[in-house]
Amino acid sequence: MPQRIDVQGQARRVAREFAAGSVVALGPGIPGLVPLVVPSDAPLQFLADSGALGYGCEDANLTPGPDQLVVDSSGRAAFLRVGGTFLSTVDLAAMVRTGQVAAAVLQPASVTSAGDFIHWTTYATPGLAAVGSAVDLASAAGRVVAMMPHVGPDGAPTIVDIAPFQPDVARCVDLIVTDAAVIRVGTSGLVLEELAPGWRTDDVLAITGAPLSVAPSLKEMDLGPPFWRPVSKVYSSGLEAVQDIPDGSVVNIDGFAGPGGMSHYLMVALRDHGARELTIISNTAGLAQVINFGTPPGKRAIDHSILVDNHQVKKAIASYPVSPSASRPTSFELAYQGGQVELEVVPQGTLAERIRAGGAGVRAFFTPTAAGTLLAEGKETTVIDGKEYVLEEALRADFCLIRGHKADTMGNVVYHGTSRNFNPIMATSARVTVVEVDEIVQPGELDPEAIVTPGVYIDRIVVRPPDFSPYF
Amino acid sequence: MSQGSDTTNQSVNGKVYPSAEAALHDLRDGSAILVGGFAGSGVPETLLNAVLSLGIGNLTCICQGAAPAPSGSPDAVGVDRLIAAGLVRKLVAPLPFLPAQGLNGEATAAESSWKSGQLEIEVAPQGILAERLRAGGAGLGGVFLPSAGRATTQDGGETRTISGRTYAFHAPLKADFAMVKAAAADTVGNLIYRGSQRNWNPVMAMAGQVTVVEADQILEIGGLDPEMVITPGIFVNRVVPSL
Repeated sequence: MPQRIDVQGQARRVAREFAAGSVVALGPGIPGLVPLVVPSDAPLQFLADSGALGYGCEDANLTPGPDQLVVDSSGRAAFLRVGGTFLSTVDLAAMVRTGQVAAAVLQPASVTSAGDFIHWTTYATPGLAAVGSAVDLASAAGRVVAMMPHVGPDGAPTIVDIAPFQPDVARCVDLIVTDAAVIRVGTSGLVLEELAPGWRTDDVLAITGAPLSVAPSLKEMDLGPPFWRPVSKVYSSGLEAVQDIPDGSVVNIDGFAGPGGMSHYLMVALRDHGARELTIISNTAGLAQVINFGTPPGKRAIDHSILVDNHQVKKAIASYPVSPSASRPTSFELAYQGGQVELEVVPQGTLAERIRAGGAGVRAFFTPTAAGTLLAEGKETTVIDGKEYVLEEALRADFCLIRGHKADTMGNVVYHGTSRNFNPIMATSARVTVVEVDEIVQPGELDPEAIVTPGVYIDRIVVRPPDFSPYF
Repeated sequence: MSQGSDTTNQSVNGKVYPSAEAALHDLRDGSAILVGGFAGSGVPETLLNAVLSLGIGNLTCICQGAAPAPSGSPDAVGVDRLIAAGLVRKLVAPLPFLPAQGLNGEATAAESSWKSGQLEIEVAPQGILAERLRAGGAGLGGVFLPSAGRATTQDGGETRTISGRTYAFHAPLKADFAMVKAAAADTVGNLIYRGSQRNWNPVMAMAGQVTVVEADQILEIGGLDPEMVITPGIFVNRVVPSL
């Protein structure tokens, strides 16, 4: 039998699977060795089950000390690369569930012809599926790469035709990279695509417990160092960052009430771009103009009203869409009374929770808020421990415009004071998120512990021009 | 009882207690406890040591798992030590133990206690457990999450199809006590964490009826940058220094 490639070679081959700009989750075991072969300036972020995002590893055998600041999924000593940050377990879970993780590299005990994933603990204790976050990752990552030896420690093949018992996750593995071959999980079985140097097809077949078809493009595994081109999220103007928003889009627009925490510059850009029939998800539907909030005399505050006045809004999903003063109605109020716009009123906490659910992969939830009121009409309710709850569904948008204080070029964002408000959850709950900041800095300039929105959620960054005024 | 209004507060300095034993004075036989930490990082060892010395048993322990701390330090205290001392009745965890074949054939306390029937184990995938705790801490009546593998519905929820995809219901999870490790606390319980020690600690702080924090540093009010605070003091009832 030819010589197997070492685990570093396997790691280099695995690393070639990732696109520039990806977040890649690395499970416990040998996947934790992948950062050893990836240059620290590569435009990739590795995610560990511990919540370290953008971590690296210098020495796989380093024992973590009692004050170890960064550990990987196996508890190995690691460090944070420039631009990395830390997630709590719940934020990690949310990131995984919403498909933000482009690829997960996991070490299963075995994989079947159908791509079923069987965790090693399941073999050891079949009555107990003790799988950590492997199930979360195998179910929700964009691609699942199984990185494992071709033959297990007991000498048996790790690639099998049929699972000996119920798999932990069925039909989830996309690619298998072993120390002898690369095998793709196809729709009708496993396809041998690459051979380790010196290996022939028959050698691989002899140690594989499942039928393999051979790809017409069968080639030798490329074990050279991988390379990525840098990616940039920085846009030169607000208009450039919003000009592909089509008519009919659902748009998250942040802000609490007044001028703080509102992406005025991007709102003006969206008005100038002119997309129509928009559904806006927002706390207010434009209140600053009627309340003033310190607006200089003779000026008006920029808020959502500029979109309403420009006939771009079809519907608002908001918690506070009317003026507190009946004699000074908002633009949205007038348009609503004129039958030009639709409205869905949602209590602020429920609105926040629905947006958070959209950004966390929670499809629906029960909340006690508004039970027994008009706002609960037509909605499913349930009674838990004598208390009534209303079923509310997740909200997600096509685009999101938010206001940060500073961002680094990877999109990590910090906020300032109460301008934080809806921004962090809205950023997670849209397909494309654009942030407007006072200043763009280099990765590493923001304290990793202070980052509120990880760059994973930010697609485009624009600087609010220093001479831009939130009044007109 | 609302969070933050601790009716049995013996503290003289805000929420700060003189010792872990004092902060756990009302921990009872049969209590359910949340214990922060991932692979030896961010584990509230001072509080776990106090549970050991108080000898309170029959506990339900909700945590990442009971694998021995990987730091190799014989002094490191994890949930495994509570199990070895016979204090834990039930373990709810994503990775309750690493089976013996992965640890050079040596079974951990959790594995032997489970096999001998003294320890009940409920496995919850990490993401689902985190979301159940978050639901408990956020006052929700439960959440519908995408079905994920065979472990998804182990907590007994219904499933339903929404827009062509299957979701499983998961009940909120709270516990009598949360034991949390922080890098620094102020005297009203605002917390910051360090590095990957953050892990389970913020969500568990939200989901404890009584949240007890051990911190490496305890500062006066104003000692923490408000923009840096991860857990607001409203979720924290008691603070003790880490030893």
